[in-house]
Amino acid sequence: MIRGTVLVLLLAGSAALALLVGQIHLSPASLWDGLTGGDGPAALTISVLRGPRVAVALLSGAALGLAGAVFQLLLRNPLASPDVMGFTGGSGLAILAAIAMGVSIPLPLAAAAGGLAAGLIVLTLSRPAGSRGGIDGASPVTIVLVGIGVGFAASAFGSFLMTRLSGPQAAEAQRWLVGSLSARDWSHVRILMAAGGALALCLALQVRALRLLELGAELASGLGLKVARARLLLAATAIGLCAVAVSIVGPVAFVALMAPPVGARLARATDPGARLAAAAGAGAVIMVLADLVARASLPGLQLPIGVTTGILGAPYLLWRLSREMERGEL
Amino acid sequence: MSPIGLRTESLSVGYQDRQVIQGLDLVFPVGRSTAILGPNGCGKSTLLRALARLLKPSAGRVLLGDADLHAADTRDVARQLAILPQFPLAPDAINVGELVRRGRTPWRGLLAPWTRDDSDACTDALDAVGMTDMADRPLAELSGGQRQRAWLALVLAQRTPLLLLDEPTSHLDLAQQIEMLKLLQQRVADTGMTVVSVLHDLNLAARFSDHLVLLSPQGLIAEGAPETVVTAENLHRAFGLAAQVMADPLTGRPWILPH
Repeated sequence: MIRGTVLVLLLAGSAALALLVGQIHLSPASLWDGLTGGDGPAALTISVLRGPRVAVALLSGAALGLAGAVFQLLLRNPLASPDVMGFTGGSGLAILAAIAMGVSIPLPLAAAAGGLAAGLIVLTLSRPAGSRGGIDGASPVTIVLVGIGVGFAASAFGSFLMTRLSGPQAAEAQRWLVGSLSARDWSHVRILMAAGGALALCLALQVRALRLLELGAELASGLGLKVARARLLLAATAIGLCAVAVSIVGPVAFVALMAPPVGARLARATDPGARLAAAAGAGAVIMVLADLVARASLPGLQLPIGVTTGILGAPYLLWRLSREMERGEL
Repeated sequence: MSPIGLRTESLSVGYQDRQVIQGLDLVFPVGRSTAILGPNGCGKSTLLRALARLLKPSAGRVLLGDADLHAADTRDVARQLAILPQFPLAPDAINVGELVRRGRTPWRGLLAPWTRDDSDACTDALDAVGMTDMADRPLAELSGGQRQRAWLALVLAQRTPLLLLDEPTSHLDLAQQIEMLKLLQQRVADTGMTVVSVLHDLNLAARFSDHLVLLSPQGLIAEGAPETVVTAENLHRAFGLAAQVMADPLTGRPWILPH
């Protein structure tokens, strides 16, 4: 079987399932009818409610998966990802601040700025004492611990800002902070497609740099790569992808962390290009399934997606941490 | 590949707190192999890293042909000068052929198709290290000596007139060390490329190099042909080592007998 088949089948299957299941259950026949532009109630459910929701889940999951894969490849660290490293928390705080202060800047830009600031803080604090700059020396566990600390700080500031918001504003902000896919429409899908697509294309052009960086910074430089610039560009692209996703679905935790290894395992991907593609696919699957569980597991109650990914992701993070500790990293 | 010279002009290199190399003027003979030698901490690797553009000089210049190496474009440099670091990182599950193909990067545009030149360079590089039939083997399954030859093939596929190697024999057994040094010697003879390596073993360096540079923490001790550099007096000055130097009965090269 061709590598990646499993992932593609999972992707199609989970998307179809997510379109079928919900408060109104659809039959596969009516799904086909709805997708091909019929005008029954099924078509309405799909075009207005579940279609955009599933599309947002797929696209934001793919963006988060890509962002996680870039950080894991760049830092050679299975614990690296924008959520663990505090980028997502920073993005969330920046958006909350923008809402609270009534500043009218596009949310993805606010998210990117917040993510970048948090990322810089984490990387600076994780740097071993006396290191001559660069991020190579920081141990995986240090980055995670510092990231968690920065994440806490961001959420504390966030809570403070929440007290400044009016009731309804605060309720919406709270929902958004956990991460939610409800009430997402096709305009959100278009933003994700345009911005996420452009960034994914940038990333595709940087696969070669990732392939060289895999050989170590010295050999990469010897092979003609401007290493510092390449790393910066890759990190900026990944933060951008993460910011776009966060600005639409909120700081959904753990998808970026889990998608790259899950994707690489399912697609048996080893080359950086294949790893990125697999991480995007796996991120999309995880997001769609997590949202499905969130809205369909408890009858009459719609959980925010961040609750499901948190329940799924926290044990994964603990397992990874324990593995790193066994290997003597802590 | 057209011959191109590499030399340093009152080169000083150091890290934040200390200068490791000060005011060094060296010319690396074109089409020859040079070994940089000296005790630990004398700045051998620091010098090589400056030559490879991995460290910026704090003063002076490295000249590649007539151009200042550190002002040149990274990719132009990569077409003239290759570096094999002491600890390159092996990507997961990569095989020898894929590894060697990455050596073609400086010659290929971002979206350029794979050309005849590219495959020729890879075939030739694998052939030069005697690994033609191992292209499909995963790097991780090879012995230390084979792995080092695969890395060498990667930088040979880069087809540069200049090659720098940082301790290319350091984790090899004696037979593998000699195999590696013979490969390099052969390559220099066959293609007229210029090789500069940091080596640890003085006897092997004297045996397989055309030119030696002997450093000590105090600076340059001697440079030149092995017979003129490896002398009892120089060994004492560089290493504080009392030794007698004989002529190798087979090659006439210097051979060190420590007291």
